[in-house]
Amino acid sequence: MNSARPLVDNEMFRLDKKRHNRFTYRNQWVAYLMLLPAFALLTIFVVTPLVMALIRSFQDYNTSAFVGLQNFEYIFGTDLFAKSFRNVLVMTAIITVVMIVITFLFALVLKAMNNKFGSFVKIVIFIPFFISGIAASVIFTLLTNYGGGLITSILVSLNKDPVSFTSDEVLAYAAIIIPTLWLGFGYNTLVMYAGLINIPNDYFDAAKIDGASWWQTMVHVTIPSMRNYLVLIIVNLITTSMQMMEIPLIMTEGGPLDETLTPVLYLFNAFRDPSRPANATIAGALVVMVVIMGVNIVVFRLLQSKRSEDA
Amino acid sequence: MPDMETKKKNFTKRKIVKKIVFGLIAALVCALIVFPIIWMIPAAFKTRREIWQLPNTFWPNNFTWDNFSKVLTSSLNGYNFLSSLGYTLLVSVIAVVLSLFVNMLAAYAFATMEFRGKKALWWYFIITMFIPGITILLTSIKVVYFLHMVDTIWVLIIPGVVSAYNIFFFRQFFYGIPVSLEEAATIDGCSRWGIFWRVFFPMSSTPMVIIGVTTFMGYWNSFVWPSLTIVNNTKIAQVMQVIRILNSNYSSNYGIVIAATLMAIAIPILIFAIFQKKIIAGIAISGLK
Repeated sequence: MNSARPLVDNEMFRLDKKRHNRFTYRNQWVAYLMLLPAFALLTIFVVTPLVMALIRSFQDYNTSAFVGLQNFEYIFGTDLFAKSFRNVLVMTAIITVVMIVITFLFALVLKAMNNKFGSFVKIVIFIPFFISGIAASVIFTLLTNYGGGLITSILVSLNKDPVSFTSDEVLAYAAIIIPTLWLGFGYNTLVMYAGLINIPNDYFDAAKIDGASWWQTMVHVTIPSMRNYLVLIIVNLITTSMQMMEIPLIMTEGGPLDETLTPVLYLFNAFRDPSRPANATIAGALVVMVVIMGVNIVVFRLLQSKRSEDA
Repeated sequence: MPDMETKKKNFTKRKIVKKIVFGLIAALVCALIVFPIIWMIPAAFKTRREIWQLPNTFWPNNFTWDNFSKVLTSSLNGYNFLSSLGYTLLVSVIAVVLSLFVNMLAAYAFATMEFRGKKALWWYFIITMFIPGITILLTSIKVVYFLHMVDTIWVLIIPGVVSAYNIFFFRQFFYGIPVSLEEAATIDGCSRWGIFWRVFFPMSSTPMVIIGVTTFMGYWNSFVWPSLTIVNNTKIAQVMQVIRILNSNYSSNYGIVIAATLMAIAIPILIFAIFQKKIIAGIAISGLK
């Protein structure tokens, strides 16, 4: 197949009436047969565990008796869990804002370049997308290690005291946020870039004719035209950042004094700790799901409502 | 008109300056992104004394292959890196093949056929996109214990095969394939299955590469699920699981961890190098994931 063919074009979204009438209800069983493997696997490995989790969160672990909201009361009463939520909200806020700003600016640079070097840059910045949180943490440990990492080495050769990324609260956040930004920078820049090049050039021409400044064009043309891409990126960033666990696990182990503990890391540790009531941990995991969905719905609504104001 | 001339000159001058500045910014960003990876490569060839030495050097003074030979030959509490590389590759490849097949088949049914309950089924699939892994982690483990899958390669492969996102992605792509092709195939006596296999499948190489590579990467990089489901059969432990174990055991002999990590990231990056054109184009157009 010709690789130059666009992957998604607008025609795709126009439902083809012809197609939908042709085979209507004729070979239904073939469709069911084709859906069967996906349906069965999804039901067994996703839906069943979800239903089990919902039931268990209202049960006592040992007796399976229904105990109402006791598990939720327990998990909300656990200071460590509440703290992990506060931590992850701070991290998510920083990561989302910084990532949006830097990837947007760099996408502007890429768009302005529009040459061979530009396509090379796109490939290079995308490399970290293929690296896992665990591997990224090992790579960054070489830089941040207190005993002999690169940063310590530089500070010592400048006759300054080395800094510890595991015992200083602010630096511990940096040790988590910087690898996270590094991992996601290329992917998010390319999505931003896709948003930028999809804005029709007529918009910019019209703004130019109207005598709009660079800043006015940015605020009134570029950013509003990218709303859908921004929603995609923000929702994606919030969803993934709130589930962060691999990088904190390796970089700080949640420390110092649980200042960088995240809910998923808390739950990961709790699942393996028999002394903690498992059903309360499940209740906590459901809370994580509800919070992520809630935050995403709010973001979606906010960006949607703004759109209707503009229109 | 000399005035016009100077204006034009200034304009091109500004354009050139702009180009150079942007080029420099881009080069700087590239350097920042690749620096951590470049910095780690020679570190894998340093001796245990040199790796945390002050002042730290980029190039090793005593070049050694010891870290590689050690990590490939020795095992730690039954965890063997070489064997985990092989099993992770096996798991990822089987998973990609199964995942493409199952998800494309479902997407084909959703894209081209009408059947009772289609809308309800579609939502049933789509809603699962919004369930975080951690929420169903413990109960999923109960399910795989019940199915006697724990400590086999199947527990690593099967639960992640279906992805509502991939079905969505393929459905969008299939919508773009003209109905006339389907009709022609039907007239030639093709069954629905034949149309999928002979028309849709060969036309889908681009989305298959994109979804195939992201699926491979998801399996290759997975950590939480294998660390909770591969408990006793340490021979099939996955790469990231083993790196984590090496990381917590070899903090003083870190060259071993670096060598293992280098090998573990080389494979997905190599795959990216092969398919980079299709992957970059795919994101530029659709915003993959």
